[in-house]
Amino acid sequence: MPFSLESLEEIASIQAEPDWLRARRRTALAAFERLPMPSRTDEEWRRTDVTKLDPASFSEFEHSNGFKQAETSLPDGVILEPLAIAAERHAELLEPALFSLVRADRDRFAALHAAFFTGGNFLYVPEGVEIEQPILRQHFSHSNGTAVLPHTVIVAGRASKFYYLDEYIGQEGEGAGYRSGSAEIFVGEGAQVGYVAIQKWGRNAWHLADQRARLEKDSTLRLFNVTLGGRFSKTRVEASLVGQGANAELKGIYLASGEQFFDFHTLQDHQVGNTRSDLLFKGALQDTAKAVYAGLIRIEKGAFRSDAYQANRNLVLSEHAKATSIPMLEIDNNDVRCTHGATVGPVDPQSLFYLQSRGIPAATAKRMIVQGFFGEVLERIPFEQARKLVETELEARLG
Amino acid sequence: MATVPKVDVGSDYKEKYGFFVPEDYIFKAKRGLNPEIVKEISWMKKEPEWMLKFRLRSLEIFRKKPMPTWGADLSVIDFENIFYYLKASDKQSTSWEDLPPDIKKTYDRLGVPEAERKFLAGVSAQYESEVVYHSLHEELSKKGVIFTDTDSALRDHPELFKEYFGTVIPPADNKFSALNSAVWSGGSFIYVPKGVRVEIPLQAYFRINAENMGQFERTLIICDEGSFVHYIEGCTAPIYTTDSLHSAVVEIIVKKNARCRYTTIQNWSTNVFNLVTKRALAYADATMEWVDGNLGSQITMKYPSVYLMEPGAKGDVLSVAFAGKGQHQDAGGKMIHVAPNTTSTITSKSISKNGGRTSYRGHIKMYPDAKNSKSFVKCDALLLDDESRSDTYPYNDVDAENVTLGHEATVSKVSDEQLFYLMSRGITRNEAETMIVNGFIEPFTKELPLEYAVELNRLIQLEMEGSVG
Repeated sequence: MPFSLESLEEIASIQAEPDWLRARRRTALAAFERLPMPSRTDEEWRRTDVTKLDPASFSEFEHSNGFKQAETSLPDGVILEPLAIAAERHAELLEPALFSLVRADRDRFAALHAAFFTGGNFLYVPEGVEIEQPILRQHFSHSNGTAVLPHTVIVAGRASKFYYLDEYIGQEGEGAGYRSGSAEIFVGEGAQVGYVAIQKWGRNAWHLADQRARLEKDSTLRLFNVTLGGRFSKTRVEASLVGQGANAELKGIYLASGEQFFDFHTLQDHQVGNTRSDLLFKGALQDTAKAVYAGLIRIEKGAFRSDAYQANRNLVLSEHAKATSIPMLEIDNNDVRCTHGATVGPVDPQSLFYLQSRGIPAATAKRMIVQGFFGEVLERIPFEQARKLVETELEARLG
Repeated sequence: MATVPKVDVGSDYKEKYGFFVPEDYIFKAKRGLNPEIVKEISWMKKEPEWMLKFRLRSLEIFRKKPMPTWGADLSVIDFENIFYYLKASDKQSTSWEDLPPDIKKTYDRLGVPEAERKFLAGVSAQYESEVVYHSLHEELSKKGVIFTDTDSALRDHPELFKEYFGTVIPPADNKFSALNSAVWSGGSFIYVPKGVRVEIPLQAYFRINAENMGQFERTLIICDEGSFVHYIEGCTAPIYTTDSLHSAVVEIIVKKNARCRYTTIQNWSTNVFNLVTKRALAYADATMEWVDGNLGSQITMKYPSVYLMEPGAKGDVLSVAFAGKGQHQDAGGKMIHVAPNTTSTITSKSISKNGGRTSYRGHIKMYPDAKNSKSFVKCDALLLDDESRSDTYPYNDVDAENVTLGHEATVSKVSDEQLFYLMSRGITRNEAETMIVNGFIEPFTKELPLEYAVELNRLIQLEMEGSVG
């Protein structure tokens, strides 16, 4: 099934989607057909090679709405439904939100995702509602050569509070495939949202995703991105602070080995003053893995008393691993506090020596150092369940 | 918040620095750029055949290369409306007294003779496109040091010249290096023989003095093994109304154990486009230092770079940028680590005021062979009001094993605590701000020879005057 209008209509019919959603898919398809493949002359793609990616070769769809974990019961008024169903039942809530943050016309891959996304969920939490138990969703890929394109939309009402986890899981030894896994998060006034995305697609997958949030007055978002899977993974993590007192914490870890290539583009967009953002992405690179990090803090004119921090730390564990780090600032206002930093370095030989002198074998010592390196940021995972999950995953992979 | 300062930077420039003397040129090429102009330039200079071919080939490259799509907006440059060659006087003077009175008058305002009396070893003052005044201490010639203008070097030292010219920055490097390679004129040529240390800085003054006139000087410095030289380039330019283009190429070769320091204080008038390519190759245990101050010009795009070619090479860039109203300083540095055990640092300090924009743009590249190398970049930006802008674009690429790379940047304003403290001691707000700014760039000023440091402080003071209402 190619990426064509027919396939699009088919997906829409299978899911019995309303007209507005079909129309939106068609607009995205037009963008997909219009937009060129990104090339190395585009600044964002200079170090990210997609010449070998032909999405058309993965145009068989797999879709699921994300496996539910047992939620005991959700408070009244909370909507948690597959997107296709929510599109019909709660159009008034979903229609203005869907693809308003993750724009379909941003590039060819974003357009493809918006035209053909299948599965994924819509979560709406009304004003003042707190959900204690985290909401967990798992997205699986089952076979080779397919496209798996889940999408998440989260709308947090005023002063609501909850946690959400998207876990993207591939099969052991799976062949190449095309994967996305985007999320749009609307954090209402005074709301507090914890969002975790764990990407563990198969090691041959192409993964392209956007995670974008919009923060209203006095709201707090704690976003945590974990990237482990894929042969090629490109994720944009972006937050727009549009209300005074908004606070975005964007954290991420990545562990790349073998021939994995990871790309992260982050944005901290301070549109108004008295806003705060704090970003830290830490990664360890083994074998011939390569990571590209490019982040931008943008403080718009008039966004007085903004406070922004951005850091990217890379631990290079092997001779042939490569890291690129581009932390950028665009500051249009003087009453701000902005700091950023980037480091790329090997395991500190002194630490290694110290551990070895205590009788710890070199391999174990190195693993302990890597665990310690991640430890600082793991503490920032917004809720216990996700933290355990990530810790277990890391331990298994560092082995 | 302080009240928003509304001061037209450079409005008093004309009285303070904006002097110019009537044009009186021996030869003035036509505006525009074509093979005929290039041939004419080469013919006027009686150049060897290979240089003419080099120029024509470069012109081809220039025509084919697109304008850079990043950095500052350069779309307003009209390449067809620029003079590519001017010659102010047809023979080179050997002493100050022989200089034409017009030119002398300009330099009197700049204080060149006084500076020479004090400590200059040699002055190679560039007026328009040709070096007109040139003196070299006998002591230096005795040591075998060559310090001359680039045109004379091509004539008098053809072999040395041909061996190095265009090897560090080939014409195809970028659009503006191609342009310079096609129409270059003037600049300095320095050769320091093995083991020779030139203890006093060599310097040249540059000026642009004719409307719509481009300056395309070309500097080539060769530091042979174990030698040392400090070259100082300083610019002030009179004010004109239409845009002016300055596009220089500076090539430096620092051989084993040698050290070269290149200091620039750029203060072009605020209508000049300053698009300069500066690059050095540093060999085993050699040190290259760029000390780069950018105050003037409408747009500056300049990223002095060091290619660390052999083990133990060291590169330093110390950069200061000041952008006032209508100015965009897009400056920074590049360190390309090719060999193991190489080290580099870039320190950038930028100040923006009255809507000015400063951008730090840098690149650290560690190639796979650059094992055990270290690099550190630090950028500090000071924004003096809420109309101004500061950007940081650091590109860090690490492909090598066991290297350490760090980057840090901060953006801040003049803190109210500091201002309050100084003002409570009876210092006016304006003086206090000037003191804070001078303190901010102190790591840069302390690397300058005394009279340059004084000049820089004075310039900052002028830029700051009346800035707070």
